[in-house]
Parts: sequence; structure tokens; C-alpha cells
Amino acid sequence: MDFSLTDEQELLLESIDEFAERYFDEDTIKAMYENHDCPDEIADAYRDAGFGYMGLPESVGGIDTDYLTLALMTERLYHKTGCMTPFMTAMLAMKDIADFGTEEQAAMIMERYEQSGRCVAALGISEPAAGSDNNGMTTCVVKQEDGTYVMNGQKTWVTNGAVAQFLLIIAKDESPAYENNKYSMWLIPADSEGVSIGYLDKVGQQAISFVDVFLDNVKMTEANRVGEAGKGFYLLMKNFEFERCLVVAQGLGEAQAAMDDAANYVSERVAFGKPLAANPLVRDLLVEAETILENVRTYLYKCCWMLDNGQSIRSEVAMLKRYATKGCTRVADIAMSVYGGLGYTNEVRIGRIWKDLRGNEFAGGAVEVMSYIAGREIVKKYKK
Amino acid sequence: MKIVAAIKVVPNDEAISVAGDRTLDYSKAAQQISIYDLNAIEAAAQLAAANGGSAVAISASGSKAGDAKMKKGILSRGLDELFMIADDAMVTADSLTTAKALAKLVQDNAADYDVIIAGDGSADVYAGAVSVQLAAVLGVPVVNNVTKIEVNGSVATVERTLDTEVQTLEVPLPAVLAVSPEIAEPRIAGMKDILAAGKKPATITDAAAAGAETAGVVAVEEIKAPVPAPRKCEIYGADDVAKFAEALAAAIR
Repeated sequence: MDFSLTDEQELLLESIDEFAERYFDEDTIKAMYENHDCPDEIADAYRDAGFGYMGLPESVGGIDTDYLTLALMTERLYHKTGCMTPFMTAMLAMKDIADFGTEEQAAMIMERYEQSGRCVAALGISEPAAGSDNNGMTTCVVKQEDGTYVMNGQKTWVTNGAVAQFLLIIAKDESPAYENNKYSMWLIPADSEGVSIGYLDKVGQQAISFVDVFLDNVKMTEANRVGEAGKGFYLLMKNFEFERCLVVAQGLGEAQAAMDDAANYVSERVAFGKPLAANPLVRDLLVEAETILENVRTYLYKCCWMLDNGQSIRSEVAMLKRYATKGCTRVADIAMSVYGGLGYTNEVRIGRIWKDLRGNEFAGGAVEVMSYIAGREIVKKYKK
Repeated sequence: MKIVAAIKVVPNDEAISVAGDRTLDYSKAAQQISIYDLNAIEAAAQLAAANGGSAVAISASGSKAGDAKMKKGILSRGLDELFMIADDAMVTADSLTTAKALAKLVQDNAADYDVIIAGDGSADVYAGAVSVQLAAVLGVPVVNNVTKIEVNGSVATVERTLDTEVQTLEVPLPAVLAVSPEIAEPRIAGMKDILAAGKKPATITDAAAAGAETAGVVAVEEIKAPVPAPRKCEIYGADDVAKFAEALAAAIR
């Protein structure tokens, strides 16, 4: 077993360090969380360094990258900035289009990204009555007599939805009935007639916009469809496994940032005549946090290694996401305890990280749903 | 047009720690491109791109600098080829010996150079001496504190940003230009640059193989961190303003 990184991976991580150090300071990050967006200068620099192309297929102008390297760079970016950035979620939506769309659709989104450096597409799946229960979805596309299509419905928790140039919507074919399991994916300009958005106020992760999307008689043609008719959800599921790895990599990075702060603070803060570090109870908190970080990291890398070797990680990534996202929130919680009252103020960044990490317990599938998926598989695995 | 970037590889100063006996512990300090040389590399890459031609790197550094990762790191930043002496003799070489070694690399590998760009100083000693001595060895002009370079034919027009003025000078080429960090912001190397760097040519040898002399060395008697001076904590009351002013003036005189 070899845990060492390649020269290329190490150099890439050093480039991420340079990017984080050059563009992210606490004032910039605070402004990003207030404005629900990142400055043009940062989006441009991310694109210019080629980071935004990583993970996208070379056939459409991307940079083919193994899953482990993508996870490493995501972890490092979140670690060194200590904040949520919109880039990886934006890349995943582009990847869905590149993987499942036509050549024209892929070329169009790559061109838009090259021109703007901005999030090209936002993925709309969840609905007010259909979160984990996908079949509850009622957004529906009906074919018209003239061969065109009309979409009606509502999507919610659409990440990057306020800034994306296109929306990638998953909707039922013809009928909103619960039993209907035929879904298609549709790529529509965000400024299409009949599309409107409503802003949602998240507890954390506010640097990334989060919106309701209302679809009111949106007219489309066959050219808007992404992938095969009726197979939309099945296609998307292929990318869910890696999406969950990325959610974990993001959380791991931010949790490590909280740990960096807290584990250094114990040597600076004096209480009862000694640094906090001398207190066995404080040390126990640090040991718990460090153990979680090490376990999450090792398990994440193993899952990425499995994906890179063509193995399914349906059950593994469900267990990883369940353990890691709760674990990372616990790390931020410990960091807050170490800081005491100061940790519960906005003078330090621990509270912001804690709020971000709590959200990751929902992102890409709630931890309870992860238990449902993995639990089912574990029973199967051990049944004689 | 051929541009040469002269760079130094040094231990990461943020990872050098002070041991109990006040000696410096380099064991955790990875090798890295001297920070001001990143600007020199970028200036070289931009100058080559603006005028057509190539930009190569030369370096005379310690043996640890000669690994594959450092090679890729240097060449991922817009340069075409690397010629390096990686030899521990260069760690203690004095500035003239280093300048002669760099001159040898230039004469053997890039004799048709137009401009050699160096950082104003290195991250470890910042003597600012090697660039001047390199020019002397090569018999060409040198200008330091350079913050802008434009080339027209065989003449470079350069700006030197000094404390109270900006000088504009014309320098006949070839020449050595030592640049200040504001000359150019270093690029951030992406994965494509890093992968491409692995395929670029590099010649990394010890000093003997490069034909460089190593005789002139700096004799290091001792390097120790200063003993932390206890703070005096002299406190003056509101009535002692005059005494305070007197003590302050004495302290800073």
C-alpha cells in the first residue's frame, strides 16, 4: 500500500496553496458570504490556472483527472481558504452535461465557461415535496402537438442557481404521477421565458447561492434534452457517487482549517497559569478531532481509489458520507469548545465553518438516507 | 530571442526551526524556488512570449535541488528548458563562485542569450551580489531594481523603481537585469503546465560534470538564533512624560 503522492499531485496542491493565499483573506471571504458570490478576479484566476477544467473530459476541452487528485485538490482548496467556494459544484454540473449531453451541448457550455469563468450550469433535482423521495417529484415536461415541449413545476435548493447561465433540470416525462419513473434531463437558459427564481436564506455556505426555481410553461425543443429520454435520473445517479466524495473532501478541508486554528490556539491561550494545551481534557478533545480527520481522509482516499479502479462504491461512499459529514461537524464543534466563548463569536471563523459543515450532512443526500443505502447493502453482504 | 532566468533553490524558510541549542534545524524545510526568483521566472516567460523566442532557466544550487519534482516545478512556470548544477558545494559557494558557475552554464548552453533575468536577491541571504558578478564574469552590463523591461532590437529599455524616483534606462544587449518583485506576478501553474513540465528537457549535473569550479567558499563559523532578550517592561506614570520621552529617545537613538 502506498500513501505517497506523485510529484504532479504535490505540485498541484502547491499551486492551490498559492491560489488560496493570493486571493482569499478573511475580509474577502466575509464579503463572499454576504454577497452570495465570489469576485470576478477569483473566478478568472481559477479558470486561468486551469483548475475549472479539471475533472471534465479531455474530449470536450477539459483536463482528464483521476478522482483521487480531484478530491485532493478540493480538500486542499477548502483547507487553505477555510470557506465554501462554488467551483466544484459548478464543475459537477458541467460534467453531467459533458458526460451525458450532445457534442453541441458540451461545446457550448465549455465555450461559455471559457468566456465567462463563471458557473455555467446549476442542477435542479430536489422539489419542495421531493427531497430524498425522488418519486415525489412533480415537475413535468409534456410534448406538444407541434413537437415542442412545455415544462412546469418547481425546483428547490438549487445550488449556484442565482448565478448560473443555464439550468439543468430533471423532470418527469408526460405525467407528474408518483408511479411515473420516467425522467429526462433538460438544459435551458436561466433567462428563458417562464423561469423565475426565489432566494433561499441558508444557515451556512452562503457564499454559494441557493434558490427556488419556478418553471411556468417553459417552452423547449428536443435540442434542450440532455441524454436519453426517460433515463435522466438513472444517468445522474452515475455521478452521485463521486459527488458524495467531493462533499466529503470539501468538509474535510474546512474541518482541517478549524483544527489548524484550535490546535494552535491551545498553545497560545493561557488559563489557570498554563497554556490550554497542558489540560488533559483539552488534549482529549484534540485527539478526538485528529482521529476523525485521519479516518475521514483515509476512507475518502480509499473510496476515490476504488472509483479510479472502476469499482462501485455505492455502499462505501454512503458509509463515508454518513461518517465523514457528521464527523467533520464534530471537529468544528470541538474547535468551538476549545475556543470557549470566543468560538461562539464571529471574531474567529470557527462558527462559520461549523455552519458550513452542518449543511454538508444534507448535501448530496442526507446522512439518514446514507444509512438506508449502506444498511441495505450490509445486510446483503453478510447474509449466508 | 533567448531569455535566461537565473534562479536559486533554497530551503523553505518558514519550515526552518530553532533547536534547543539555538542551531537551525533544516530537517523539515523542503526545497523551494527562492521566492523573488518566481517573479524573475515570470518576467522571463513574459518577455520571451512578447518578443518571440525561448526562455530557459539556469541554477547553481545544492544537491537536494536536483530532484524531478523541482525540475517540474521550475518548468511548469512558463520556461522551456532547465540547466542546473545540483551540488552541495554550491550551498557554501561564495557569490563569485556561484556567478562563475552560472556563467559557465550560460556559455555552454545558452551562449546566444539576449537577456539574463535574476531576482534582486535570494530568499536566504539576499546579498544581491550574484547578478552583478555574473554580469562582470560575462562582460556585459547589469541593471538592478528593474520593474519594467521592453526590448527593441538590441536595446532594452528598463525602468528602475527607486525610493524617490523611477529611472528609465537604455541598456545594450546582451545584459543581466536583476528584477524587483513588482516586475511580474508569478503565474499559478495548473495541471496542464505541470504535466507538460515533466516532458520538457532538463540537464541536471554536479559541478564537476558542468565544468564549474567550486574553490571559493564561504567559511561558516557558526549560525545560531539570537538569544531572546527579556523584555524590560519599564513603566512610566502620567507624571513622568519627560522621563519617558528621554528614555524612548535614548532607546531608538
